[in-house]
Amino acid sequence: MKNKLIWFWVIVCLVIASVIVIYKKPTKLGLDLVGGSRILLEARTTDTVREITPSVMSNLKYAIEHRVNNMGVEEISVAQIGDKRLLVEIPGETDTKKAEEILGKTAQLDFRAPKLDENGEIVRDKTTGQIIWEQPQITGEDLKSASIGSDPSGEFVVSLEFNAKGATKFAQLTQKLVGKPMAIFYEGEMRTAPNINEPILGGKAQISGGDGGFDSQEAQEMVDYLNAGALPVPSDIIEESQVGPTLGADSIAKSKVAGIVGVALVMLFMLFYYRLPGLIANLALVVYGLIVFAIFKIVPVTLTLAGIAAFILSIGMAVDANILIFERTKEELRAGRNLFTAISAGFDRAWTSIFDSNMTTIISCVILYYLGSGVVQGFALTLGIGILVSMFTAITVTRTFMHIVFGTGELKYPALFGLSKAEIGKGYEATETKREKARFGILD
Amino acid sequence: MFNIGKNTVHVVKYRILWMCLSAVLLLPGIAAMIYSTITYPTHTPVKVGIDYTGGTILQYGTSDNVTNKQLAATREDLAKIGVENPYIQVIKGNKITKEDNGINSIVSIRTHFIKEGSELSKNISSIMSSNYKNSSLIQFTSVGATLGKELLQKSMIALALALLAMIAYISFRFKLDYAIAAILGLVHDILFVIGVFSLLGIFCNVQIDNLFMTAILTILGFSINDTIVTFDRIRENLRYYGKKMTFGEIVDASVNQTIARSVNTSLTTFLTLLALYLFGGSTTKDFVFAIMLGVVVGTYSSIFFCSMLVDFWEERKSKQKQQPQTQEA
Repeated sequence: MKNKLIWFWVIVCLVIASVIVIYKKPTKLGLDLVGGSRILLEARTTDTVREITPSVMSNLKYAIEHRVNNMGVEEISVAQIGDKRLLVEIPGETDTKKAEEILGKTAQLDFRAPKLDENGEIVRDKTTGQIIWEQPQITGEDLKSASIGSDPSGEFVVSLEFNAKGATKFAQLTQKLVGKPMAIFYEGEMRTAPNINEPILGGKAQISGGDGGFDSQEAQEMVDYLNAGALPVPSDIIEESQVGPTLGADSIAKSKVAGIVGVALVMLFMLFYYRLPGLIANLALVVYGLIVFAIFKIVPVTLTLAGIAAFILSIGMAVDANILIFERTKEELRAGRNLFTAISAGFDRAWTSIFDSNMTTIISCVILYYLGSGVVQGFALTLGIGILVSMFTAITVTRTFMHIVFGTGELKYPALFGLSKAEIGKGYEATETKREKARFGILD
Repeated sequence: MFNIGKNTVHVVKYRILWMCLSAVLLLPGIAAMIYSTITYPTHTPVKVGIDYTGGTILQYGTSDNVTNKQLAATREDLAKIGVENPYIQVIKGNKITKEDNGINSIVSIRTHFIKEGSELSKNISSIMSSNYKNSSLIQFTSVGATLGKELLQKSMIALALALLAMIAYISFRFKLDYAIAAILGLVHDILFVIGVFSLLGIFCNVQIDNLFMTAILTILGFSINDTIVTFDRIRENLRYYGKKMTFGEIVDASVNQTIARSVNTSLTTFLTLLALYLFGGSTTKDFVFAIMLGVVVGTYSSIFFCSMLVDFWEERKSKQKQQPQTQEA
C-alpha cells in the first residue's frame, strides 16, 4: 500500500506539471487550422549545377530563409524534406502570389565575357548580329555586398562590392577585356553590357538600369536579393496549398465539438458498463488527456486537423487497456478471489495483451512516421504518443486508484463492478503454477 | 469438467458460416476493385484524388445556397477559359459553428495542375465571383503529377513494410502460424474497406486521398490489437488447459472470454469516431468513415476469422502428425 501512495503523489505531481505546461505554453497549430500558405519546392538542376548536393540544398535553404524573413511575416518556416525539396510554410499569408514571386526568383547574377575568334574579334550571331557571350566568369558568390546608389546623372544604380577572390577575378577579367564589352546578367537576362575602358582593380562595380533605368523599388529589390544571396539553383513549385482563416477557425470549432461529444460518450459508456471501476477509468482518461496535451506542447507537435482526429481517436483506444484489465478483474472476482488479489491478477494477466497489442500499433506508427510526409507524419506522431501515454496511465493511474479505492477486503458489493452476487464463485477455475500464485498473493 | 466459462459464440462449430459471411462481405468489393482497375484511366482499384494523380482543388465559400443551374453555368464558363472537364462539387451545411462566417455552401473545383496566382486561377476566381454571391477562395491545394506518383509508391512501401514488421513481431512473440493467420485477417479487413471505397468510387464518385492511406494503416494497428488479445488468451489457455482440452475447445473458450473486451473496445473507439464523423471537419469525413468501417470489420475478423484460421491450421497439422503414427502401428 505504501507503494501505491507514492504512485498517487507522482500522478498528482504529473497532473499539476501538465496543467502548468498546458496553461503556459502556446499550442502550435498547423496551417490548415490557422490559415496560411504552404509551398513545396523542388530544386532543379541547371547546366552549371548538374547535381543537387547537400551543400547546394543548404545554400538554397539559407538564401530562401533570408528572403522570406524580409517579407515581414512572422514564424515562416523553411524545412528541407528529402534530398531536393524545401517546404515553406507561411502562416496567415494567403496571398501566395507574393510568396511565389519571392521564392521563384533565383537572383543569379553573373558577369560574362564576349566570345572571341582566333583573331581576338568578337563573334556575333550571323542572323541577329548580337554578341555571343561566354559561360559566366564571375557569379553572385564572389560578391561581398550590394547597395543602392546613384550615378552622376541621378539615375539609380546598384553598387557591388566583391570579396577578395571576386575582386581578383574581376580585375583579371576587366584587364583582358579592355576596349571590349562585358555583359552583366541577372536572372539569366542581360541587364547591361558596358564597354570596359580600363581595368577595374578596386573590387567594385556598378549596374545601371540599362535603357529604361531602375526605379527605386526595382533597385531596392535587387539589392535585397543580392544581399540575401542568390539561389544556387532554380526551383519548381510541386505542391501548394492555401487555407483561408475562416475555414481554419471553423475546423477548430468543429474539432472541439467532436472531441467533447466523443469523450462524453466514452465516459458515459464506461460508467454505465463498469460502474465504479469505470469512474476510475474516466479519471485515468482525464489524466491521459492532460499528459498527452502537455507532451504535444513540449515536443512541440504541430496540431493539424488529422492530428486532432488522431488524438480524439486515441481517447477511444486509450480506454482499451482499462477494459482489458476490468474484464480480467471481473473474471477473477467471479472465480471468488478477494479484491486485492483479483485486481493484481487482473493487471498482471492483462499486461501481456496490452503490451503486445500496443507494440504492433506502435510499429505501424514508426513506419508511417519515417515514410510518410506532412499530414501522415503528424498523424503517426500523435497516435504514437497517445498509445505510449495510455499504456502508462493504465498501469499507474488506474492501478493505483483501484487499490486505493477498493483496498484489500472481500468484495462486499458486487454491483460496484456490475456483477451480481449469484455470479461470484461460478467463474472459471484458474490453475496457476505455484510461482504465479505467490506473485498474485493467492492463499489456498 | 473444466469449467472455463459458458460458450455463447461458437467459432469452430460454425466454421462454414463464418467463411461464407466473410466471402459475402468481400466479394462485391473485390468485383468493384477489378472493374475499377480495368476501366479507370489510372488503373487503380479505387478512384484516386489529386494527392496521387496531381492536380488542383480550389474551394470557394459563398453565401448562396448553390443550385444545380448555377453549377451548370459555372461548368460552361470554366470550359470557355480552358479548364477542361473540371469536377465540381458542392459541400453544403458547412455551418455548425455559431459564428456566422457568411458561408452557406462551398463549391469545390478539381482540375489539372495550376499555380496559385497564375492567370488561370485569377480567371477562375473572377468567374466564381460573378456567378456566386460573396464568393471567396477559402482553400487551394495543388499537387504536381510526379509528386502524386511518388506518394502512391511510398504509401505502398509503407503498407508492405508495416505488414512485414507485424509478421516478424507476432512470430517472435507467438508463432509463425499465428502471425500468418493475423496477417490474413488484416488482408481481409483492408480488402473490405478498400472494396467499400471502390464501390463508393463507382457509385458516389468518392476519391481517396493521402489520409485514406493513413486510415488503412490505423485500421491495421487497431485490428491487429483485437486479434492479438484473442491470441494472447489462446496462448495462455493452451498453457493451463493444453493437455486436457482439444485445440478447438480452447479456441472457442478463449474467444468467449475475450469477446466482451473486443466488443467494448471497438464500441468506445466507434463512439469517438462517430462524434468525429458527425461533428468534425469536412476534410476528415471520408478518413473517419474508413476507420469506422475498419473498426467494425476488424472486430469481426479477429473474433471469428482469425481464430477460425488458427484452429483450421492446427487441425490440419495434428491430422498430418497422426497419419504416420497409425501407419507405424
